[in-house]
Amino acid sequence: MQAHEPTNPIPMFNKPETKEKFKEVETIIGPSIKVKGNFNGQGNIVVEGILEGSLKTNGDVFIGDKAKISANVEAREVHVSGEVNGNIKVKKHLDMISTAKIAGDIECASLAIEQGATFNGKCSMAAEISKESVKEIKAVKN
Amino acid sequence: MHVYIYDGYVNAKKYDTVLAHIETRITDLGLNGKIIRLGVMKNVAEAVANEIKHGAKTIIAIGNDQTINKIINSVALFAINNQTEVNIPLGLIPVGEKGNDIAPALGIEPGEKGCDVLSARRIAKLDLGLAQTTNTSGQLSNYYFLSQANIPCQGTFLEINPLKGSIKSKFSIEVMEPGEINIINLSTLTDLPPKAKPNPQDGKLELYIKTKTAKKLSKLTSQISQSVFSSKKITVINKKSPLILDNSLNIKTPAEITVLSQKLNFIVGKERRF
Repeated sequence: MQAHEPTNPIPMFNKPETKEKFKEVETIIGPSIKVKGNFNGQGNIVVEGILEGSLKTNGDVFIGDKAKISANVEAREVHVSGEVNGNIKVKKHLDMISTAKIAGDIECASLAIEQGATFNGKCSMAAEISKESVKEIKAVKN
Repeated sequence: MHVYIYDGYVNAKKYDTVLAHIETRITDLGLNGKIIRLGVMKNVAEAVANEIKHGAKTIIAIGNDQTINKIINSVALFAINNQTEVNIPLGLIPVGEKGNDIAPALGIEPGEKGCDVLSARRIAKLDLGLAQTTNTSGQLSNYYFLSQANIPCQGTFLEINPLKGSIKSKFSIEVMEPGEINIINLSTLTDLPPKAKPNPQDGKLELYIKTKTAKKLSKLTSQISQSVFSSKKITVINKKSPLILDNSLNIKTPAEITVLSQKLNFIVGKERRF
């Protein structure tokens, strides 16, 4: 009789795969790096160090578990494992891993929060935030 | 006419055989030309300017990274002094094992095989790095590089500036661990992360920072961390250490580094890394 092999449960949060998903990375901010200022990118960004100011990209952002961000973040998709002090605006999906700590408001189309993650702030969710809707919101505000 | 510029160090006796083989191969391929031997009394900028005026068809460096850096700076100086563009293709035949990191990146093998690359005359338009410094009297100095500019992390402060007319990023980078900063146009490094793809034809510079963090318990096991940024204009400030261009030319900082898009015609090999 064959021994029953335990099957691996389907992971809800693919921690190791998340970073690997970033095949094309424009910028890597390593653990021993401190970046201050307005960072505007086009592609995917991996943050493992310290970032102060603002972070904007048309691609995805991966925030590592040792990262400390004091900035507003704007991107297509964001995966957070580290600390973020600032607002996060995501066009598509925001992932918060168990080690994530967010102090700020978040705006996204879809959200996943793993057990253990900390989030202090407001959350507003809508269908995918398009450029037009952003313009409309700005127009209303003005 | 082809002009071959021999660096001073290749005059050493140990290179006699290599040079004899190169010269024979050049003759066989019908690429004969004028030979200029650099030495203490020979000014490379003057020699290059003279050959450009006399209609050189190709200028080939016989030497290493330092040789090609000297020639690039001499050609640039001629272009500035005469307010003209110099489109003469440059070539390189590497001699010796030390300080020859640019040749493999360009797909050029040492010795006789390097002559075959010249013969194939595969010309690529390459970007050129420009480091500008200002001295105490406000005079601007230009230094050019093909491969990369290096400086130690300790005491170095970097500013990434937007180009005129653009609303791109403006930020500063501080490195908190010892290591090395490389500002890359043409990569000669073999340990770059696979996600970083420097290309000397994309009009951009890759800023690569490699640091080592020694663990408290054992100094033997250290953690290496890598950072990669892409930019067109970088200001480097370090009061103690100089910036090293092409592993050969030391310049003082603050230096503003930019890239001149597809400014240089270079004869490259099939096995080039871009």
